[in-house]
Amino acid sequence: MFKAIVSASTLQDALESVSVLVDECKIRLNEEELAIRAVDPANVGMVDLSLEAAAFESYEADGGVIGVNLARLQDIAGMANSGDLVHLELDEETRKLHIEIDGLSYTLALIDPDSIRQEPDIPELDLPAEIVLEGAQIDRGITAADMVSDHIRLRVDEAAEAFSIEAEGDTDDVDLNLERDDLIDLTAGPADSLFSLDYLKDMNKAIPKDAEVVVELGEEFPVKLHYSFAEGMGNVTFMLAPRIQSE
Amino acid sequence: MGNADLRSLASIRDVEFADVEGSVVAVDAHNWLYRYLTTTVKWTRDDVYTTAEGTEVANLVGIVQGLPKFFEHDIVPVFVFDGEVTDFKSREIADRREKREAAEDRLAAAEERGDAVEAARLEARTQRLTDVIQETTRGLLDRLDVPVIEAPAEGEAQCAHMNAVGDVDYAGSEDYDTLLFGAPATLRQLTSKGNPELMELDATLETLGLTREGLVDVAMLCGTDFNEGIAGIGPKTAVSEIEEHGDLWGVLEARGESIPDAVAIRNLFLDPPVREDYAIDTTLDPDLEAARRYVTEEWEVDPDEVERGFERIEESIAQTGLDRWT
Repeated sequence: MFKAIVSASTLQDALESVSVLVDECKIRLNEEELAIRAVDPANVGMVDLSLEAAAFESYEADGGVIGVNLARLQDIAGMANSGDLVHLELDEETRKLHIEIDGLSYTLALIDPDSIRQEPDIPELDLPAEIVLEGAQIDRGITAADMVSDHIRLRVDEAAEAFSIEAEGDTDDVDLNLERDDLIDLTAGPADSLFSLDYLKDMNKAIPKDAEVVVELGEEFPVKLHYSFAEGMGNVTFMLAPRIQSE
Repeated sequence: MGNADLRSLASIRDVEFADVEGSVVAVDAHNWLYRYLTTTVKWTRDDVYTTAEGTEVANLVGIVQGLPKFFEHDIVPVFVFDGEVTDFKSREIADRREKREAAEDRLAAAEERGDAVEAARLEARTQRLTDVIQETTRGLLDRLDVPVIEAPAEGEAQCAHMNAVGDVDYAGSEDYDTLLFGAPATLRQLTSKGNPELMELDATLETLGLTREGLVDVAMLCGTDFNEGIAGIGPKTAVSEIEEHGDLWGVLEARGESIPDAVAIRNLFLDPPVREDYAIDTTLDPDLEAARRYVTEEWEVDPDEVERGFERIEESIAQTGLDRWT
């Protein structure tokens, strides 16, 4: 059983964080929250989203799982004007999701969850460095890096207490260097990893520019990016596997 | 069975690389290598892949250019080499050798006339897997940590067996015999640009209303690598004849025809000699330095020709997967 009313912008924010990695996903309609966990086909980028019941105008669920075509669901949610409310109701008999936005009704056929890629296990990682900064700063770093390379290096200089986003191209280089004062917070530790810019660009698209982003980083470990939306009642954690230079 | 015939009967559909990412494919090495050999010889100047002593190793160029595709799509290739050539095939092979020798004669004549285009075209057809090619192919694959399996006989049969028992997700071949050898799922067009094709045994049998034995019987009626077919029987006729008369013997009797060594050939398809004791390590850890040295120094291949391929392989192994940390 599932019946909920949610603001269009909250729904759009939630779906965006997942759709940057996958086209279809399972949605867990738990009693206390709506949850999605998915990994891209190459097993490189993962998203873990939870949207608490309190983020909804109203929310009733008893723990089912549905499979959705995310692109389609996003299109529908995109039909709403800002300020609109989206009504959602699951028809368990027909396996369809009824969506209503200001008089417009859309019945979305659901996908058999068993035919969707299995939800990934979340790696248990205790990463030594933690950097808290504005989404806008990450955006600057990624945009600049994109001009010169396919790869991006995230590094913490423990001595200087600084975090840098670097990229090296064939001829040009980029370096966004942020010291403690430029950051919201910094817990220095040994951290230096290389990532594929494609994935980070996609994740960056979902991160609100004014959000506080917590970056957890290590040496040749995956990076974790965490931020909240819907007044703290929506939480997203991205995880991205590093590129490792072979010996 | 002629490729065109089997293709017209088999259930084949296009698939996206995204659908097969992460899978393990047993690739018929001879088949795969042949494609890249002929392309390389056709389009690359021969001094690029010929040592100072005149030994040709076009296969090394072909391998470095063909392998990245697997790595980039996170597909583990297991290369399966032919073992002993089967007796019956010797006849077909003898035929092919005759044709090749005739082609070589024409090639020599064309070169004499200075007919470069004709010469290139004919040269492509005269490629054979020399001992050097066999040796250097394994040498390179070894340095790239690509698993190699030596089949006791037909490579395609070994690929099919490994697929059937579930040790690999797909058999990989540009021909269609893996279907007859019982491979549940064969990927084709791995050597071409664009998406691969998936050829499925169950779907084929269901569509045609045949058992696997029936499919082999149909193939034998049309002609395989091991036997000439029955004159006048094409694929559609073969299927209906089998339906009507039950099996190969029924059809042959009804038509008063015979196929030499039919029992043995049929067995060859249904129960081919395969190796069951093998171990495949699917975590590939290529030594690119060693591979580069082998190809460009030891075997004197022009580095420009292979640098891009090595780079692509290096790129794709650098990106790790999250499963490494779970």
